[in-house]
Amino acid sequence: MADTRLGHTKERFMVGIYDHEDKVVDAVKKLKNDGVKVYEVYSPHPIHHIDTYIGHPRTRIPIAAFLFGALGTLSAITLITYTMGIDWPMIIGGKNFVAIPTMVPVTFELTVLISALGMVATFLVSNNMGPGKKEFMFDRRTTDDKYALVVDLDANTLSEEQIRDLMVKYGAETDPLPRIVER
Amino acid sequence: MQVTSPIREPLVTGHKTMHDITEDICRRVEEKPSKAWLAAFGVSLIMLIVGGYAAAATWWYGIGMWGLNKTVGWAWDITNFVWWVGIGHAGTLISAILLLFRQKWRTSINRAAEAMTIFAVICAGTFILMHMGRTWLAHWALPLPNTYGSLWVNFHSPLVWDVFAISTYLTVSLVFWYVGLIPDLATIRDRAKLTLEKYPLLDTDTPEERREKRKKRRPIAAFIYGLLAFGWEGGAKVWARYEYVALILAGLSTPLVLSVHTIVSFDFATSLIPGWHTTIFPPYFVAGAIFSGFAMVQTLMLITRKVYKLEDYITITHIDYMNKIIILTGSIVGIAYITEFFMAWYSGVEYERYAFLNRAFGPYWWAYWSMMTCNVISPQLFWFKKIRQSIAWSFFLSIVVNIGMWFERFVIIVTSLHRDFIPSSWAMFYPTLYDIGDYLFTFGIFFTCFFLFAKYLPVINMAEVKTILNSSDIKAKEKATEYLKEGGAVKAASPMYDKGKDL
Amino acid sequence: MAAEHTVTVDVNEKYTLTAATQKKIWLWLAVGLILFIAGAFWFVTGFGSEAAHGAGHAAEHGGGGGEHFNPMARVWANLWLNSVFFVGIAVAGVFFLATQYAAKAGWSAIIKRVPEAFGGFLPVGGVIMLVVYFLGHHDLFHWTHTGLYEKGGPEFDAIINGKAPFFYWPLSPEGGFPFFWLLRLVLYFALWYWGYTMIRKASLAEDQLQNRLDFRYYDKQVVWSIVFIVIFAVTSSTSAWDWLLSIDTHWFSTMFGWYVFASWFVSALAVITLAVVYLKEQGYLKAVNENHLHDLGKFMFAFSIFWTYVWFCQFLLIYYANIPEEIFYFKERLHGLGGVYSPVMIILAIINFAFPFLFLMPRDSKRHPIFLKITAFAILVGHYLDFYLMVMPGTAKQYGGFGLMEIGAIIVFASLFVWLFYRTLSKAPLIAKNHPMLEESLHHSI
Repeated sequence: MADTRLGHTKERFMVGIYDHEDKVVDAVKKLKNDGVKVYEVYSPHPIHHIDTYIGHPRTRIPIAAFLFGALGTLSAITLITYTMGIDWPMIIGGKNFVAIPTMVPVTFELTVLISALGMVATFLVSNNMGPGKKEFMFDRRTTDDKYALVVDLDANTLSEEQIRDLMVKYGAETDPLPRIVER
Repeated sequence: MQVTSPIREPLVTGHKTMHDITEDICRRVEEKPSKAWLAAFGVSLIMLIVGGYAAAATWWYGIGMWGLNKTVGWAWDITNFVWWVGIGHAGTLISAILLLFRQKWRTSINRAAEAMTIFAVICAGTFILMHMGRTWLAHWALPLPNTYGSLWVNFHSPLVWDVFAISTYLTVSLVFWYVGLIPDLATIRDRAKLTLEKYPLLDTDTPEERREKRKKRRPIAAFIYGLLAFGWEGGAKVWARYEYVALILAGLSTPLVLSVHTIVSFDFATSLIPGWHTTIFPPYFVAGAIFSGFAMVQTLMLITRKVYKLEDYITITHIDYMNKIIILTGSIVGIAYITEFFMAWYSGVEYERYAFLNRAFGPYWWAYWSMMTCNVISPQLFWFKKIRQSIAWSFFLSIVVNIGMWFERFVIIVTSLHRDFIPSSWAMFYPTLYDIGDYLFTFGIFFTCFFLFAKYLPVINMAEVKTILNSSDIKAKEKATEYLKEGGAVKAASPMYDKGKDL
Repeated sequence: MAAEHTVTVDVNEKYTLTAATQKKIWLWLAVGLILFIAGAFWFVTGFGSEAAHGAGHAAEHGGGGGEHFNPMARVWANLWLNSVFFVGIAVAGVFFLATQYAAKAGWSAIIKRVPEAFGGFLPVGGVIMLVVYFLGHHDLFHWTHTGLYEKGGPEFDAIINGKAPFFYWPLSPEGGFPFFWLLRLVLYFALWYWGYTMIRKASLAEDQLQNRLDFRYYDKQVVWSIVFIVIFAVTSSTSAWDWLLSIDTHWFSTMFGWYVFASWFVSALAVITLAVVYLKEQGYLKAVNENHLHDLGKFMFAFSIFWTYVWFCQFLLIYYANIPEEIFYFKERLHGLGGVYSPVMIILAIINFAFPFLFLMPRDSKRHPIFLKITAFAILVGHYLDFYLMVMPGTAKQYGGFGLMEIGAIIVFASLFVWLFYRTLSKAPLIAKNHPMLEESLHHSI
């Protein structure tokens, strides 16, 4: 991604608008067949498997969730063992200083808490999202009822016209025609 | 390709397009507050203020303002706490468990139910803070390093487990709810920003034109919802991650929901008090929580549906399904009541036997039989399809269920405590005005928050409803029937299903 | 769109139980029987010397030994344990089928004939249980000793006497015929089999329809499924009290019924998964794809956690309160009876929770038959041990163990179950071709 602040040239994209989920999925597959590299598809709702058709790698979010969960488990065990067993051991209710059964509830809660928070934080950071972050919308109607298929013109060898024609051929709206957006 | 069975009832009626969905939901956020909304909000504020007086008095003078005595040390405070936590179970249940079970009907009700969850848990927390007496020292319940020697919280105590459970639940529910809101907030943001692009203020405008444009431009909404939408763009990569996040949050929240009411039940069940110490408490509390939570969702959604004219999104089918869950959980609770009663007899422990007979025939018999009638008998009416699909009945019974669930907690807490092991300590509990006032206070919090939510945030998850639109609206049912008539996927293998034959 | 997703499926596909398969099953059954009888013979004849050793052992540990012990108890206990385990799998399999109808599940339509074939075991299981009861009730159930109810007698037990109506009503316990208890046993099987037969009948009638848009029999199956669920909701708990809780006659736990249900249900899910995977490997059920396996894997994963939840809550509450009336049950299993049962509790937690939890967590492991087979097998072993821990300490006392007799009994019951499963399965096509959810199931993709 080019950074405009450093005076790089802007990237140019061809944006085709589609009005149905099936059409855009179809277009992605066909464009791929024609050797066009699709940059991204923007949609008002998730579309099943479209990320694999575009060629995005599988997300590693679950791994983050697991690691944060493991961190939660470990920190809970450490906290309880340290406070109840080492720092100030006390006999309570005739139980052992560190009794495994009574550790379970808090360990579980902390596992879930840290896993959930860590995963969502990872999600926000990896998508460059957060309070006050600016969005770049190729077309603002993609949060309503349109689907935008975006092709990075610099990453493709075909000409603008060829790509535009292919998009229209595969169902893009013609009024207005797919247009070029700079970012 | 997704195929839907023609036997499924449509979940979105009225031949909606995706744009209709956006319009129908966003309109409520964008329009000026209606008179009905202002009136309802006013009433909630009055409850908040009147109850607020009682709450302030309780904080100032201490919990001596309540009707507690040496024998009955927990009464309305913990009853209300458990009641509110229970209500706070349906939202995350709908979002999490129903998501895991791929129940598409959840999409129309999950947003409001989750919001309700959060507000209910806040109300529950209010009682926890209040019953500590010295609320300003509430942080002592956390394992913080402190200056009073190496004193830590007691991790053997179910009350400390509760602190962790409730705060984790509140946090994770909030996160889950907010993550679900982001795409919809972006929709509202983009609608507002489109007005700015469509009606730019130009130097050449006449004052007249400028006034007209200003009416249509919504810069404040663009700014606020822009801030709240976290820079959402809605690309396929983000959606793929987003779906994983939602799925894993659901996977984490499902045991979390169960754990919360389980740990609440541990507050009682780890003790030695007859009527409290019983092993079935954890799952039975969870079932009861879902039961009351669904009843509250039903109450609120029936009102929201009517006021916001959302009949096409929250259909009779949705109401029917919720009522089915109410029968299911109500019956589980009923079986648990009977199991407890049977085991008290079977155990041969005289204290257990006494505790249960005392519940049913002792001085609090009225509370016990109110609970039985409201929780076990009344939901059985939902076996009749007519009642299940009647809006008036659903509304009435949903309130009855919540009354019953309040009595359940009252019965468990007060009747188990009021007969001490020493008969000279036997006592009764009489609520004071402050008990009632504090309860009213939490109603004030709950409804004030709920009405604010219903006005300023989308009450239905637009993105999710759009996801199921293709597979679950009226056209989908027609298409599915057509597909089956043509033989569907098994056509090739079986000549019996040739087009047109026997149809 | 539709063209590239067409799934071809042979809707008239039937499972054939070949003579070779049948011979194999009989062979296993014979091997199991030999092992069982040999193990039992060895144990019972060798008991004199072992008992002396065992009693000394128990005295050291302060166990409950000392009174005369009939070595046949372990033999009956094995038969009882396996009957309860396999009957539970059969009935929980039917329950799974019923939940699929009640919840309008779509994905499971192509595998629904598999749990539907579980019901075939029920009548046989019922007869076996009755026979085992009559052969071994004195060794299995402490409450069958009539001396317990004789007021003023040397064996009189006030607590058990208080429970007498639960077993003997309306007869007097001194007579020794537990009318109420036996009536319930017969009633459970009658009700379960009745509910199952009604579902099955409608299911077979649905196959004969000529019109796929005729939902008559689907609706019927939904109704009967709900009837079955209502029946099972009550009887799963009560049968657990009758068959397992009453073995340790003094002990009680309100959670017990749901705990047994959880164990049965997850075992049934494991057997369903194994059956689907094996049938697919034998070339049947071609339309079953990794998405269906994924869902089965999720079910096993989720209900392993559910079982752990119920099991742990019951343990925690009793451990925490530490009341003598309740805690002896776990003391016996953790430290008592010469320590023969001590390792099992730990094994349970690992094999029934930690293993499926960690092993089935990644998405990929739920989509590959080999991982599912390993987990399903482990779950079955783990839940057998769960029932082992419910039955053995109260019956075989400190003379319990795991030897030829146990292995033989498992093989006998497993081969019987497999045989009846295949027999029922072969009687109807593998795919319910008029199931209204069939198309959804064929196009299932997650």
